[in-house]
Amino acid sequence: MSSLQGYIDRRVLLVLQDGRAIVGVLAGFDQKSNIVVSDCRERVYSLDEGVDEIPLGLYLVKGDMIALIGEIDDAIDQAVDPSTIRAEPITPIRY
Amino acid sequence: MLPLSLLSAAQNKPMLVELKNGETFNGHLVNCDNFMNITLREVYQTSADGDRFWKLKECYIRGSTVTCAQIKYLRVPDTLLDSVKEEQARAREASRSARGAGPGSRGGPCLYFHALPRI
Repeated sequence: MSSLQGYIDRRVLLVLQDGRAIVGVLAGFDQKSNIVVSDCRERVYSLDEGVDEIPLGLYLVKGDMIALIGEIDDAIDQAVDPSTIRAEPITPIRY
Repeated sequence: MLPLSLLSAAQNKPMLVELKNGETFNGHLVNCDNFMNITLREVYQTSADGDRFWKLKECYIRGSTVTCAQIKYLRVPDTLLDSVKEEQARAREASRSARGAGPGSRGGPCLYFHALPRI
């Protein structure tokens, strides 16, 4: 059975259906994959400047908007300098 | 911590609710239910492009339209966090003993565990 239980209290990356990337500590979840993330920040990617991190705080994200949840390896994440990253933002899902 | 327990703990706290169409509603949570339907009071509504604003005395938001809720300055007292965790543990325990207590079962090891004194 797949479960998010193993990600509790770990740093995770959420990618939402509108293309936003949010990193934070997974504080809780439920049957519908509604997610509570604490200390979360939005990572804004762009081609002409480095990654901008916007602090958001405590967030509750509805499960139906989540496209992806992944665990972050803190050692690798901290080794990367976000100001050097140039990337195209993820486009939102359109139906 | 379950998302819905957090939301109900945030009653009367300021929060920002974002809808799937990008509109945001900034106000104090009055009430919520298991579908995440929400009522807010003293609301500032912002259009998706952020250039128009409305002030609403009170509003009701259907849960299915919500993307996310940013709970600002939510101070969850530690005791509340503990009681939510205990509640979850009790629920787990109850469902486990309901499954395990067939005919001839001795009720599972949890009863024995509970009888042990706390160190």
